[in-house]
Amino acid sequence: MKKWVASATLLIFLMLPFLAFAGVPLDTVKTNVNSVLDVMRDPKLKGEAGKKVKEQRIVVAAEKLFDFVELSKKTLGLNWNKLIPEQRKEFVELYKTILKDAYVDKITAYTNEQVNFTKEVPISENMVEVQSSVVTKTAETPIFYRVIKKDSDWKVFDVVIEGVSLISNYRTQFREILGNNPPEKLLETLRNKVGKK
Amino acid sequence: MNPMGQKRYRKRICFPRLSIYLILLLFFFLCFSPAYAAVTGDPDQGKSTVSDAQKVEKPADETGGAAVTAKEKPSDEYGDVTAETATSGEGPVTAKEKPSDEYGDVTAETATSGEGPSIADPIEPWNRAMYHFNDKFYFWLLKPVAQGYKYVIPEEIRGMFSSFYENIKMPIRFVNNLLQGKLAYAGIELVRFMMNSTAGVLGFYDFAKAVEIPGHDADFGQTLGKYGVGFGFYIVWPILGPSSPRDSVGWAADCMLKPTNYVSSEWISPEGVGLYAHEKVNYYSFHIGDYETLKGAAIDPYIAMRDAYIQYRKKLIEQ
Repeated sequence: MKKWVASATLLIFLMLPFLAFAGVPLDTVKTNVNSVLDVMRDPKLKGEAGKKVKEQRIVVAAEKLFDFVELSKKTLGLNWNKLIPEQRKEFVELYKTILKDAYVDKITAYTNEQVNFTKEVPISENMVEVQSSVVTKTAETPIFYRVIKKDSDWKVFDVVIEGVSLISNYRTQFREILGNNPPEKLLETLRNKVGKK
Repeated sequence: MNPMGQKRYRKRICFPRLSIYLILLLFFFLCFSPAYAAVTGDPDQGKSTVSDAQKVEKPADETGGAAVTAKEKPSDEYGDVTAETATSGEGPVTAKEKPSDEYGDVTAETATSGEGPSIADPIEPWNRAMYHFNDKFYFWLLKPVAQGYKYVIPEEIRGMFSSFYENIKMPIRFVNNLLQGKLAYAGIELVRFMMNSTAGVLGFYDFAKAVEIPGHDADFGQTLGKYGVGFGFYIVWPILGPSSPRDSVGWAADCMLKPTNYVSSEWISPEGVGLYAHEKVNYYSFHIGDYETLKGAAIDPYIAMRDAYIQYRKKLIEQ
């Protein structure tokens, strides 16, 4: 009996750090993603006027969900060091705008689909992959959020859809430009892209 | 044996079909050629030496002393990226991070993390031309047809068709799961096929999914990948889209296991092409806007597509 109690206690203590750790990143991402979805599903925000409000609220919610500086750094990799601080700030803003323009419409399309948050997988000491899936009538799309611990908050720095990493995808494209051009050329390309919208 | 059956058999191994396979086989062997081995690593990655790491250290020290919150030091937030952060997005991270000093020291070992997948593209001019052809093909033909089809045919019916086409491709999944040593998955595919073909009324209803027996996709390109065959290089086929020599061979092999290819005795027949076209239009009726999103989000859509393709395929093989 004594042995049994001892081993049970040991087991509980062993599980404590695990229990304390599990859930926080997932819950953070889940809450923030759901707040984006809530904005999208808000029945009061319809029509053209509602669309503007919606977009603003999504930007606010996205700001809470993502760490755009971290995302930019990880996208550019060591190329980030080639940019002077002003260029870095502009790059982050332009990159953010491009992502917003590209994906806001797509998020709208997902409003009626079911989003399930399944599990979290540690990547390193302060990085975790939160796994979710979007279930539609014909398919189930896995969407993984890679989060990093910043201060006490968990922020998304990469989104992996069907195995395709967002930052990896952009890295390949940016590298192509930065390969034979100065950083200014990259910013110019991004400015043109944002301007066209 | 009736004369019809004999005629079919004779015509199925007709010369044009054989020559197509031979060409694909040739590509397949090119996979092993070192000249086309996938390019890995960015020239910049190699440069991340200790001196780089020390340079990074400085700005953090200057601002790090002040007792201010993270938000109040924008200069620090926009400071040099450490080699650790630079490489951490590039695939699996092996190095451990130091949580205490965010922008601080970087050791040489942390800078050598793995790079994301990349692929050689020796025939880029052809590929870019084909990409543009496929782009026009989508916007001028496929998309309008799919939109019209979506407008006319109710979603339920379109869903039934996609279940039907999925069900009938069971031999591909069954054989490849077997070849990959996933006997349980192969068995599940067989069970699913039997359930869906009977209770699911010839596969028009995914009965197995309703009773929570999910399928397990597998294709021959993936099987070859699991056997260690590399991508080779990047090819964009007209209409068929992004591929590689390995996956082209895989596609051709899977085609031979596809029952819809045997509706006619000819290699290219109106019935066969019609069925293929319907399958594709039916598929795209559920996916209008996907390509537009990818293209709209991209700086260079061709590169974005190439990267997405290899990341996706690599993931399927690693699974």
